[in-house]
Amino acid sequence: MDRNQITKWIKAPAKMANKYSLHAIYFCTGCGIIEVPPVITARWDAERFGVIPVATPRQANLFLITGYVSVKTLRAIIRTYEQMPEPKYTVGFGSTHLWTLIDKDMANGYIRYRENYNSYRRNQELVLGELEWPPLFLVSDESQGNEQ
Amino acid sequence: MVTKIIHIIFSPILALVVGIFFLGLARKIMARIHWRYGPPLVQPVIDMIRLFYQKSVSHGRMFDLGIILSLAGSIVVVLFLPFGQICPLAGSGGLLVILYIMLLAPLGLALSGGQGANPNISIGISRKLILSLGYEVPLLLVLLAVMTCYKTISIVEVVNAQDNTGWSITSWPLFLSGLSYFLILPAILGIRPFDVSSAPQEISSGPMAEYGGKYLAIATIEHAFVLFISIALFVNLFLGGAANPAIFFVKMLVVFVLGLCINAVFPRFKIEQAIRYLWKWPTLLAFLGLIMTLVIRS
Repeated sequence: MDRNQITKWIKAPAKMANKYSLHAIYFCTGCGIIEVPPVITARWDAERFGVIPVATPRQANLFLITGYVSVKTLRAIIRTYEQMPEPKYTVGFGSTHLWTLIDKDMANGYIRYRENYNSYRRNQELVLGELEWPPLFLVSDESQGNEQ
Repeated sequence: MVTKIIHIIFSPILALVVGIFFLGLARKIMARIHWRYGPPLVQPVIDMIRLFYQKSVSHGRMFDLGIILSLAGSIVVVLFLPFGQICPLAGSGGLLVILYIMLLAPLGLALSGGQGANPNISIGISRKLILSLGYEVPLLLVLLAVMTCYKTISIVEVVNAQDNTGWSITSWPLFLSGLSYFLILPAILGIRPFDVSSAPQEISSGPMAEYGGKYLAIATIEHAFVLFISIALFVNLFLGGAANPAIFFVKMLVVFVLGLCINAVFPRFKIEQAIRYLWKWPTLLAFLGLIMTLVIRS
């Protein structure tokens, strides 16, 4: 921790603490969840940055949504999100969210998720709280390789 | 008088610092055992700053008061425990008082969780109380053996007596009691293989399920105190206490790291397996220790 960072801690402790302490709860629909174990275990070790998985939405301030969202699962997502205390953040986790968002033809993923009759495609319009969702993508190289 | 007041204010703060250091150390050591780099040592402090700034949801008056009762109970126990030579309430009680007040912490959590009205909390609390039924029997036998051996209920006198006779874990009949206490230590701390009550994968971390924000921060502080109390009790009774806080801290560290190694390699017991274990080997050892102490001392 250098001098610059200590100044930041003294000026805005809440902001810095929110940055370095993220308790994650995840909503998984099968395909994206396979990317969570490498992130929290020895491969990438998210706990270095203070990210740990927790069991209930009350304890969490980070919501990982893995896999594509269908209209039916949207209700469960919103209900879980509303139980989390403020301030809270949402991350669309894994490659699936990219496929559902990007408009141009992206081979397999495009057809599987974007053209699927039941998947929720208007992710940009879905605004939870003050944050636009999904604000951030975490995509591993392996998963992209597998898609092609 | 002034020293006493300073000690009363100072010793819970010291206990809190040690407990939170242990929480951070636990996460770091577990990460190293998993071949991960792990979070910084101050991670629990960062978490706590974040939690205190977060908005939190209350479920009623008892939900607020129960957790404060639990925290208060833990702080009071700390005042009765010698930390090195610091013991603010040395003359006012002893092992019996500690035994009674130690029950306030789980009771407060139970009262608070009762108003949370979440089925996972009820399951967690019932498991916690069954588990405490499991470890209270050997714990009581162990404390009885120690009290009989040194013919006192004052924990300070037990520590002073060990200055002359050597650590009680190295003396013959009390070795069994010490071993028994070490075997039930994971159950008292609620770490694996005895983390049935707070199992995150089964019952959404049990009694903690509805705590968020400030409540979770207070629950973490309470957990740090419980960590301190159960290890400090072991060090005082069996490892001869210490002449100053630094040596005492080193002894606590050794015991805690040994406990962590058990925590890192064992999977979780089911509740009936935990009770079967707790009422078999630790109870048997503690009972043998008590009988032999009685025979030798009389």
